[in-house]
Amino acid sequence: MNSVSEEERKKILESSPVGTWALMLIVGGGMVIAWLLMYYGVFLPRGHIG
Amino acid sequence: MSNTEEKKLALTHLWVAFAAFALAAVMGLYQVVERSGFFGFLESREVYYASVSTHGVLMGFVLTTFFIMGFGYYVATSSLKLPVWNKSFAWAGFGVSLLGVVLAALPLLGGAASVLFTFYPPMKAHPLFYIGATLLVVGSWFWCVSMIVMYMQWKKANPGAPVPLAMFATTGNAMLWLWTSAGVAVEVLFQLIPWSLGWIDSIDPGLARTLFAWTLHPIVYFWLIPTYTAFYCLVPKQAGGYLFSDEMARAAFILLIVFSLPIGFHHLYMDPEQAHGWKILHAIGTFVVTLPTFVTGFTVIASLEIAGRLNGGKGLFGWIAALPWTNPMVLAIILGLLMLIFGGFGGLVNASYAMNAMVHNTAWVSGHFHLIFGGTTIIMYFGIAYYFWPILTGKPLHSPSLAITQLWSWFIGMIIMTTPWHILGLLGQPRRIDSVNYNNLLTLSWEPYEVTMIFGGLILLVSSGLLVYNLYKTQIGGESYQGEVEYAEPIHAPSDLPEYLNSFKVWNIIIAVFMLIAFGYPILQFFRMETFGSGAWGV
Repeated sequence: MNSVSEEERKKILESSPVGTWALMLIVGGGMVIAWLLMYYGVFLPRGHIG
Repeated sequence: MSNTEEKKLALTHLWVAFAAFALAAVMGLYQVVERSGFFGFLESREVYYASVSTHGVLMGFVLTTFFIMGFGYYVATSSLKLPVWNKSFAWAGFGVSLLGVVLAALPLLGGAASVLFTFYPPMKAHPLFYIGATLLVVGSWFWCVSMIVMYMQWKKANPGAPVPLAMFATTGNAMLWLWTSAGVAVEVLFQLIPWSLGWIDSIDPGLARTLFAWTLHPIVYFWLIPTYTAFYCLVPKQAGGYLFSDEMARAAFILLIVFSLPIGFHHLYMDPEQAHGWKILHAIGTFVVTLPTFVTGFTVIASLEIAGRLNGGKGLFGWIAALPWTNPMVLAIILGLLMLIFGGFGGLVNASYAMNAMVHNTAWVSGHFHLIFGGTTIIMYFGIAYYFWPILTGKPLHSPSLAITQLWSWFIGMIIMTTPWHILGLLGQPRRIDSVNYNNLLTLSWEPYEVTMIFGGLILLVSSGLLVYNLYKTQIGGESYQGEVEYAEPIHAPSDLPEYLNSFKVWNIIIAVFMLIAFGYPILQFFRMETFGSGAWGV
């Protein structure tokens, strides 16, 4: 299914993938936050072994 | 070029792979039911460990190895436009591997090789199991030789030209597997087989685990590279677009191959035989491997974004909805990437030197590798199968809608099964145990999660059945189909690639240096200090 004009097609192929950058930032940021939550919210409160 | 024989070769390998998968899926459901303790008549420690060992070997070694070989043969012939080099040699490799599977299956199914798929000594199996596993690996080396020879044939005939990306990745995987399998090959040949045959009385588990760690992490990338090959080389075309960057793809494959090898000690964080410094060195390397994973994520998602926008998608994320979600391969990558995000986070926790202590040997670990392996890797094997089956059999796919249902059910089943598994790990449930029913408050609190896992396992088993049914019905279908593998074109075709992005020579030298640094002294130390062997343990 190709519903874009030739001009639009050329523009798409030459433009930066902004949606991908946004997704990568969201996923990367989410991973950092999740890791910090796991470290400070779950791991450290368990204290020392024994 | 007539490639009827190549199709038969690939299809035969792939059928062995999916037959192993189907059997292992049945065992998977049995295991999750048995260990829950809800069905007393099913409880049997001996049967459970025989099943879990067979499940692991079938999924981790048989499904993967045969799939990778079958996929590789057809990628080689279709991307290079060359016949498979020395088909008798290729069939001989298939025969050796299959013989190995049969030999290993005998003690496995009889309960005489209940040592799990990692076969860590001092657990001891029947010699046939180790000999069979060795033959499986030796047979796969035939495939490695075939891939490297075909790659060299093509390079000789096309001097200076970029090797087609799919073949570049496949050859890289063959080289990776030769490096990867060396560790376990040494362990099996010089420790496990002599020990199991009674030629030596005891075994050094520390040395054995160190050698297995050599293999245990890069083997994951051996499994994953066909998935990534499909991500880069097949999906963009199926989605209606182009590969965002051929050069970035090559760089990612090289980084994956080079950095997946010298990092295996993150499997030994809690082991006493290696010092902290070596473990930290491997831990740093482990985080380096996230780099090519992110490069892959970026390049592949950018390729999908291009396809979505060419299909009319607008806005920051509107292109996602414009992707052809009803194409099995496109759906497989979308669901696979989602599971990679969740599984990848779990992997970061595992790789974190301190936090690993919290999840070490808990159900978290089983949840993690099922999500990464059963999720991201295997769902793409399904996507590849749905694309390859019509090409290899010359029959149209029996039911594309059933394929879509199967992929969704696999995703849903995997999420339902692995989420409670992770939670159970954080609640302290150990992995590798045949029963979780100790009738105290702690284990009683696990029950709702066990029920959920059984439900997830049931969905996965049904999904497995749908896959095999669809492939079988395709094979016996009456209609004919004419088609060939279509590889994605990059936006900008590589015309003048530097040699380091088109050859593995320099990378093999770098790998050798890295492996010497990462494993040289840690292995040598066992021959410089007094160690004490262990007798056999077992179920």
